[in-house]
Amino acid sequence: MAATVVARGNVSGLENKDFEKLAVPLLDGLYNFARWLCGDADEARDLVQETFLKSLKGFSSFREGTNFRAWMFRILRNTFLTSRTGLERRNTQQEDEEGFEESSVSPETPEIALIRRADTELVQAAIAQLAPAFQEVILLADLEEMKYQEIAEALDIPIGTVMSRLARARKQVREHIVLTLGGKRTVGVK
Amino acid sequence: MTNCEWREKIGLYVDGELEPREEQSVAGHLQSCADCSSAVLEQQALKKAVRVAGKRFTAPPELYASVHRQMLPKKPAGLWLKGSALAASVALLAVIAFALISRPSASNATLAQLIDQHVTMLASANPVDVISSDKHTVKPWFQGKLPFTFNPPELAAGSPFTLVGGKLIYAQHAPGAELVYQVRQHKMSVFIFQARDVRGEPSAANQTFVVNGWQQGGLQYYIVTDASREDTDRLRALLQDANR
Repeated sequence: MAATVVARGNVSGLENKDFEKLAVPLLDGLYNFARWLCGDADEARDLVQETFLKSLKGFSSFREGTNFRAWMFRILRNTFLTSRTGLERRNTQQEDEEGFEESSVSPETPEIALIRRADTELVQAAIAQLAPAFQEVILLADLEEMKYQEIAEALDIPIGTVMSRLARARKQVREHIVLTLGGKRTVGVK
Repeated sequence: MTNCEWREKIGLYVDGELEPREEQSVAGHLQSCADCSSAVLEQQALKKAVRVAGKRFTAPPELYASVHRQMLPKKPAGLWLKGSALAASVALLAVIAFALISRPSASNATLAQLIDQHVTMLASANPVDVISSDKHTVKPWFQGKLPFTFNPPELAAGSPFTLVGGKLIYAQHAPGAELVYQVRQHKMSVFIFQARDVRGEPSAANQTFVVNGWQQGGLQYYIVTDASREDTDRLRALLQDANR
């Protein structure tokens, strides 16, 4: 997005009046992300408003060389994590990330056809069933088209964790689609 | 499946995370490895499916409005104003006078805002929220998002214009539509607002962009583009015909 292009450059000398120009184009993406995180329209709206308030207040301390989009998403996510819903989700839906091996899926063509056949509703269900840690990574990578480094900054996690969570999220989305459309047959997943 | 040694690079390749040299090597390998090629196709299909399905929610107009309100600078109430009806009247008159005086610059600000929006669209990885060359897909997408409706023109088979898609935008705190068209290598943004929300401004141009504005049927239209004036006039004529 343009805001990111601007933010990737030298941001020294930015003033508060520049905030609107940078931040408003991100509103739709932030709201969409917030809705996925919260699962509730009112809560998502409050979360985005709080994110804008916090980021506007903190804009003067925005550091040169920092990615603005990643910064905004990080504020939103941190705000969410300290909310009641965020705390509940953190406590109840943590998943073990150990022992995961990447590339454990079969690249057979019928699965590609199934993925292509999947309707939006099915893919949304597949995303919705992901643990929050996987959901946020796949949304930032595939929807917001963030680079791994940008995701790492937004979520405050190492880049290796981004990669492993992303691979695992995709594996689960793929499994959900293939198992739903392809019946109960095994599709080469562990 | 086979355990091709290249498989671990497939995800990075599809996500565009490899260095150019490595990317070239993987591309070369794909020519001869059916398994890895299938894996790439599958990952691409999955990414596309998530991209489409993940874009599930659009920020409601009132959220845009409240965020805009948050960003308005807060003016401290002066002590002199308190308790003085006379001072309040003077201030009110001053505000009205300021509003009248500043009207031309407000519309210039609108044009600047629309040019910014057009540039943002050009630079964006997701330039439109609804991607379709079919006006019967794009127009219904705006239903319920805007308090007005409009007709994108029917483009003939040989028309140089192609509809790219559309998105919801805001200018002067009012919701509007941005339709994106392509003519040869140039993108053209058509902005549509209720005329009462966004005041009209005649056609203008800066060094880079042509801005063509008109009012029709209670709506304010603007075309912003780096295409030629002739192309802009032709698209304007098509839009005017479609909305008669």
